[in-house]
Amino acid sequence: MSQMLEMNQQTAKPEAMADESKQSKELFRALFYRSPIGTYIVQNGHFRLVNRQLAYISGYEEDELIGRPSLGFVLAEDRDIVRENALRMLKGECSLGYEFRIVTKQAKIKWVMETVAPVLYQRKRATLGSLMDVTERKLVEERLRQSTLEIQRSNAELEQFAYVISHDLQEPLRMVSSYTQLLAKRYGNKLDADADEFISYAVEGAKRMQTLLHELLEYSRVGTRGKPFSLVNCEHVVDQAMANLKIAIEECGATVSYDVLPTVLGDEGQLVRLFQNLIGNAIKFRREQPPQVLISAQRRQHVVTFSVQDNGIGIDPQHSQSVFEIFRRLHTTEEYPGTGMGLAICKKIVERHGGHISVQSQPGKGSTFYFTINMAGGESA
Amino acid sequence: MSTQTARRPADILVVDDNPGDVRLTVEALRDGEMQNSLHTARDGAEAIAFLRRKGKYGDAPRPDLILLDLDMPRMGGLQVLAEIKKDAALRDIPVVKLTGSQEIEYIVKTYNLHANCYVTKPIDLEQFITMVKSITNFWLTIVNRQRRTAN
Repeated sequence: MSQMLEMNQQTAKPEAMADESKQSKELFRALFYRSPIGTYIVQNGHFRLVNRQLAYISGYEEDELIGRPSLGFVLAEDRDIVRENALRMLKGECSLGYEFRIVTKQAKIKWVMETVAPVLYQRKRATLGSLMDVTERKLVEERLRQSTLEIQRSNAELEQFAYVISHDLQEPLRMVSSYTQLLAKRYGNKLDADADEFISYAVEGAKRMQTLLHELLEYSRVGTRGKPFSLVNCEHVVDQAMANLKIAIEECGATVSYDVLPTVLGDEGQLVRLFQNLIGNAIKFRREQPPQVLISAQRRQHVVTFSVQDNGIGIDPQHSQSVFEIFRRLHTTEEYPGTGMGLAICKKIVERHGGHISVQSQPGKGSTFYFTINMAGGESA
Repeated sequence: MSTQTARRPADILVVDDNPGDVRLTVEALRDGEMQNSLHTARDGAEAIAFLRRKGKYGDAPRPDLILLDLDMPRMGGLQVLAEIKKDAALRDIPVVKLTGSQEIEYIVKTYNLHANCYVTKPIDLEQFITMVKSITNFWLTIVNRQRRTAN
């Protein structure tokens, strides 16, 4: 642009030059004075030229600003930011879009974003600045940051709460459980039939509560006691999960097979738990025929989608969301034992790995659980 | 084992603030074939007083085995363990850490303080009884140890 101007100056006739110069001046005036961005020229630290938008942002009249020191309305704590960027500009480095606070004539604090560039004004070095009011955006950002912090804090508190509850309740529960068992052992068949029945309900209740607490503890540990992520071979993970389920698999003659599975970034112990719960469910909720479980994986860019497909009893689609809630059970303990924590733990593990879990199923035709693992590593919390 | 055919009854010190747990240990040892005398301390300070024969424990025997709980008021289990293991007169007494907690950091700390073993109290009564019997059997019968009497 400047080169073109120079060429024009060399070749153009004097009257054309005058014409051009007039046009440039008009263009400059239009840009400068009508800009929706606060624009100004500062020389020796003082405003020489300001536009209406700068006056509007600062709360001063335009002629009140002329001759004032430009740092004057910058909030004292933020003046270093402005000085630093002025120095950067002088060294020819980038100095645009930095943010600081100003104090308006009405003593109101506003957030602004400024960009500066060196120019010549009346043949002397000067700074051309442009400034935008970003107070609204800053407030929204701050509110967002606050609510994110608040959510993180309350999540951590909930996890801690669940942990403390499940951990500290175990001691008194052990007393209840041990002494009801001792009662049963020493006085079983020595009192009347009612006593035996009451004792057996107390023993059963204590045992059940113990299992619930154990699972709740495990659930809370997914977040609080997880290991750092490392590269994990998912075929080894599934092998390990199957080894843990060996007895159950053999008892019902289940076939568990898997396609080529990738290596992912994750917490190995938790991934074993995840597959173990899903394969365990596929075996537990079986129909008459021996269970068949197929595990496969598909990778698309950074996301691996795993599927665990079975030929079991299936899940009514209306429950396809709620099965992942804690203590959610769709059957009585007589039909299928369990605490209703298995899939809640799965969901928590998957989410810690930056993924989602879902199920597609038709009652009587089997279920397929899908979950994703983000290769870029999850753990946003 | 043959060296200990006619052994004297063992003294076991149970350090636990929960009377229910102490009683369970008593119950577990009751129908054992071994004759043992059980002593109890309700917190860490009492345990140390017992071991050093301070105050009312002037005639206390030197225990052959210490069963130590983790969470106790006044002096905690880890602190008691550290006290015992840095005392040349006490450190050869086997200390079994017996607690309700399975927290890995406690387990690590316990072994770093030279506990002889860390055992989690089972919730199931039968398992609890079996556990107490196994521990006492192991430390009082199976292992070779120079059992010292009070001097």
